[in-house]
Parts: sequence; structure tokens; C-alpha cells
Amino acid sequence: MKTYLGIDVGSVTTKLALLDESNELLASIYLRTRGNPVDMIKRGLEEIGRQMPLDSEVCGVATTGSGRTLAGVMVGADLVKNEITAHAVATMSCVPDIRTIFEIGGQDSKIIIIRDGVVTDFGMNSVCAAGTGSFLEHQAERLNMQIEDFGPHALKSSNPARIAGRCTVFAESDMIHKQQMGYPIDDIIYGLCQALVRNYLSNVALNKEVRPRMAFQGGVAFNKGIIRAFNEAFQTEVYVPPNNELMGAIGAAMLVRGEMGNNGRRTRFKGFGVSETEFEISSFVCKGCPNLCEISQISADGKVLSRWGGRCDKWERVETIR
Amino acid sequence: MRVGIPHFGNVHVAIGAVADRLGAIRGKDIIIPPPMTKKTLDLGVKYSPTEACLPYKLTLGSLIEACELGADTLIQARGTGICRLGYYARGQELMLHDLGYDARFLTLDISHHKFANLLRLMKDITNDTRGNKMWLGEVISAFFFGIAKLIVLDRMEKVLYRVRARELDRGMANLVYKEAVEATNDALSVREVRKIAREYTGRLNKIPQNPRADPVKVSIVGEIYVVIEPFANMDIEMELGKLGVEVERTMTLSRWVKYSLFLNYLGINEWRKVHKLAGPYLDHDVGGDGWESVGEKVLRAQEGYDGVVHLAPFTCMPEIVAQNIMASTREDIPVLSVACDEQMGKQGMLTRIEAFVDLLEFRRRKRDGRKVCNAG
Repeated sequence: MKTYLGIDVGSVTTKLALLDESNELLASIYLRTRGNPVDMIKRGLEEIGRQMPLDSEVCGVATTGSGRTLAGVMVGADLVKNEITAHAVATMSCVPDIRTIFEIGGQDSKIIIIRDGVVTDFGMNSVCAAGTGSFLEHQAERLNMQIEDFGPHALKSSNPARIAGRCTVFAESDMIHKQQMGYPIDDIIYGLCQALVRNYLSNVALNKEVRPRMAFQGGVAFNKGIIRAFNEAFQTEVYVPPNNELMGAIGAAMLVRGEMGNNGRRTRFKGFGVSETEFEISSFVCKGCPNLCEISQISADGKVLSRWGGRCDKWERVETIR
Repeated sequence: MRVGIPHFGNVHVAIGAVADRLGAIRGKDIIIPPPMTKKTLDLGVKYSPTEACLPYKLTLGSLIEACELGADTLIQARGTGICRLGYYARGQELMLHDLGYDARFLTLDISHHKFANLLRLMKDITNDTRGNKMWLGEVISAFFFGIAKLIVLDRMEKVLYRVRARELDRGMANLVYKEAVEATNDALSVREVRKIAREYTGRLNKIPQNPRADPVKVSIVGEIYVVIEPFANMDIEMELGKLGVEVERTMTLSRWVKYSLFLNYLGINEWRKVHKLAGPYLDHDVGGDGWESVGEKVLRAQEGYDGVVHLAPFTCMPEIVAQNIMASTREDIPVLSVACDEQMGKQGMLTRIEAFVDLLEFRRRKRDGRKVCNAG
């Protein structure tokens, strides 16, 4: 059986999804990156290798997310794609009448506008990461609870507290203030969810034509409180697709399936043995000019695989990936 | 007198040419600061108000670098448009004085009597430097030599755009163009400039290209400084080119010179058509290049371009006005607005332009009745 692997290396989590030729999800894994993408990619591959059906072979690999370049070099990807396209492709195939996608991940949030099956516009948070997963997690920690418990608490609220959501620092001081005023924890949590949705809509979704049907995905879509706040903001049901956290990886796998099938190319995938390889990531400052670019370099077994991060092509052209 | 200028695209090539012709020695009479780098930006950011725009910060950084090399007279533009440009020279002069550089500012009014102002400025500088009177004729001849170089460079850049989107070995065209700029900068006569243009255009065209390539076409519009100076827009044209996009932009230095200094006096307005097209949405100047941005979006939609990339310095009022109007015009062409400032991360910009290029390609396939993406 032919299968296709998508790897989504985000700022906070690493996701892998293995699809068959009819886009059926065969295996998947969701890991915390914990600041160590290389090890997580290796662990993810190991896990997928274990879950994968016996008679199958990987015929194409694509990487996406903020760590896509690194992951692409490590595993030998056939396609390195930005996460906006990957998310859009995955959602369009499972929700054909989709017109708006909200995606909130660990450190960035996006909106994708789709009309008649084509992406027509998109937006990404540019000035601030208020309202993304990292912030929610930080608040959960401060309230001494698991992030998974946030949702149930928010759902119990009937009189949400008004929390300032423009800036996360002020949101936090506002929450502390409301706690000291004696507001119930449920109302504070749901108030925070509402503030984050407000912030998202007035920043990321500013000037975008938001029309139903809307999908909400990314790690934060696990949070029932945020879903409730979205539903109330739009007075309509915002759809959370199954495997919402894997959409980027699924989209990447779907794209590489199309690419490989059309060209009849052979995959460059290095195999699951990658999880045994020792990778070394280092960086140095190029002193060629006052730009002082920080060049990242990845090598395996003492051999440089790739370099990136420069303003000019000086280092990249030394070893081209392709 | 040691005259320093801030960097702005290939302007330094023209200034160098003029200086050569007038007998000024580069590095002594005329100080061209080093190409813009992170150091320029850091200097500019450090000594500018936070809310100033990127062109202000970059030109200040560049002028500081010129002062470090010994410049004692600085040239900066000024104007009376609805834009902060009017304050640039004064603000930068005060800051440089505070930093201990006792540089004299010669400002060039680019709102009125541009040509006369420019000639007077050049004459004053040369008289001062050489100590003897110059003939106006000499000044004019030097001036045209500078313009010739600008024209040639802009022509070669158009070839670069075309080749870069189609070349098989990515990066070759950029290398050739870079060499061409160097060679043009060193050329001593118009004949030599012409020879260089022929040689390098030939070399660019000879780069192996994919004959079947049908690249997505994108027009770059927006505020003139961030559009023309690659450092200010993080080489967005080059990055688009790497993705196989053919870029095009109306705004070039040679065009500005040709119209602003000459043809406008004959009543020929290069933007007349663009302003007219912007008419239904915006019928007057909003400062900077805002009006032109709106009109160009309409024009490019009519010309069948795939998309528009709109570059604006962060907090640039004219372009913010333009951006909001562009979002609501009837013409159906995607626009990607990019705010340029020192906080801009290259990775974020790359993700956005990659997604934008995918969007344009999918739209094209849909228009041609092909499958939108291979994944479905």
C-alpha cells in the first residue's frame, strides 16, 4: 500500500500524519516540541514507523510549520510547504463548503478565507501573540490547573468576567485583579476566552470577510471555552474538524501525494532509520559584512546537510538541498 | 567639503558618476556610505523616535555611516507632501548634531522646481569643492551621465525579473546582475555604459531557462523608498523570484528622474492614467504614494496580473489609507500588504509570500479550469 507522510513542526508541538491514497488517516502522533525539534521529529518518526501497517511503504514526505526547513533536511522531504496552504488544503477536502478557517496554534494565529474552493485571502498575527496556545498554557499554570481543564471550567460560567484582551500582560493583571475581587474561577476563565476571541477578531481577522461555514482548528481548538466564545461571537456553530490538531500535517501529506502522483517521482525520504541518525545543529555568525547574519547549520555524521539564515546566498549556495 | 548621501536603491551609482565627471574624488570629496546592513538599521533605530518610519531610520543610519567616514555635508530630500518626508532633514540634522557630527545639511526640495533645485545644488557643491567656477554646461553633462547609468541599470533589472522567474539554477541571475551594477558603477563613459548594458543583458538572457515556465506575475506597489531599496523590504523581489514569480514594478529611479525632472514640466503626468483608474475609489492625493498604490491595483487587475504586493513602512499614513481602500475595490486581484519596519521577521515574511504565491497559483488553475490542487 502506498502511503504519504506529513510532518508539521510548530513552535510548541510537532505533529505527524500518515495517509493512504484515499486520504485515510493511518497513523498519527502529536508531540510537544519542548524546544527540541530534532529529537521530537526523530521520536515522531519512530512512533509512525511502529503504527504503520505492515504492507505499506512511504511514497512521499512533506514538511510544514515554522520548523519545515529543518525537518525537510532531516527526513529528506519531497515538498516543503508553508502551513497556511497546508491547513487550507486539508480543511477544504474534509469540509467542501468551508469559507473561513480560524487556526490558532502555539505561537501564531491565522485566518484563511476561502471562496468556491480557492483560498482568496489570509491573515497572520504580526504584532503580538496574544491569545495563542502558549499564553493560555501560561495562564493555566498560574491558576494551578492543567490546560485540558480550562474548557470544562469555561463551560460552567454563566456570568463571564470582562477581561482586557488587547495585550496579554494586561490580560494577566486584569485576571489577577478579578481573582482578588472574588470572581469565581469559571467566570474568569471564560472571560479570558472571550477576551482572546475578541482580540483575534480585531487583529488577525481585521478587514477579512468572515462568512460561514467556519472551521476552527489548531491546538487551541481543543479548548471548549474558546469554541464557546467563537460560537457566541458569531451566533452560529463554528465547526471543529476531527483531528483538528493534525490538519497541517494532513494537508502536507495530501499535497505531497498530489505532487508525487502527478510527476511519478521517487521519494527522497531517508526512511525511518533517520531516528537513529545523530544530527548536529550548530549556528555561527557570518562576519562577511556588518549584517552579521546568524547562519544555522545542520550536519549528520559530520557531513553538512544544509545551511540557512543568511541575508544573501553566500552560505546557502555552498550546499544546496536539491 | 566632503559630501555624504544616504543609500537609496542604485542612487549611489548615479551620484558617483556625476562626481567622477565633475572631477570629485570618490571617498574624498564624495562619501558613499557602505551598502546598508543591520548595522545601518541598528544605528538608525537607536537614534530615531520609535514611531518614525523605516525610510527615516534607514536614511539616518546611512547618513551616520557617511559621517563616520568623514562626510561634513549631507544631502537629504525634503518635500511638502502630506507625509513625514518634510521633517526628515530637520530631524536628522538635529540628531546628528547631538551625536557630535557637525554636518551641514543640503536639502533638495522634491516638491517644487526639482530640476532647477538639483542643478543649483550640484553647482554649489562643485564650486565649493573645486574652488573654481563651473560652467553650467559641465554640470548638465555630468548630470546626464548619472542618469544614463540609472536608465541602464533599471533596464537590466527588468531583464533580471524575467530571467529570475525562469532560470533553472536559482540564483544565477542575481549574481550576474550584481556584477552588472558593479561594472556600471565603475564605467567612465557613456560608451562604456552602453557596452556594459549589452554585455550583461546578453549574459542574463543566456542563463539556462525553463522554456515551458509560465510564472505567476506580481506587481510591486507602495511607498517609493521601501519599494526601491531592497534592504528596506528584505529583498522581497528576490525572494519572490526564488519562488518562481515574475515581479514587475512601475516605480523606478530612472522613471522618477525622467518625469519629475523633465516631462512633468511639459505637462506630462506619468500617473495620469493610474490616478484616473483610482478615481472611483480615491480621487485626490493622500500623500506619499498612496493614490498611486490604489490606482495601480486597478491597472494591474485590468492588465491580467495575478497579484499585487503592497509595501508600506509601518505607521506610514498615506499607505495605510491606500491599504484600506485597496481592500474594498471591485477589481478582483489579490493584494498582500507587507508592513516594513525593524521588527519585521524574515521568516514570517517568507511564510506569507509563500502562502500568497500558492493562493495565486490555485486561482490561476481554477480560472483555467484545471484542478485547483493536486491533493483533492
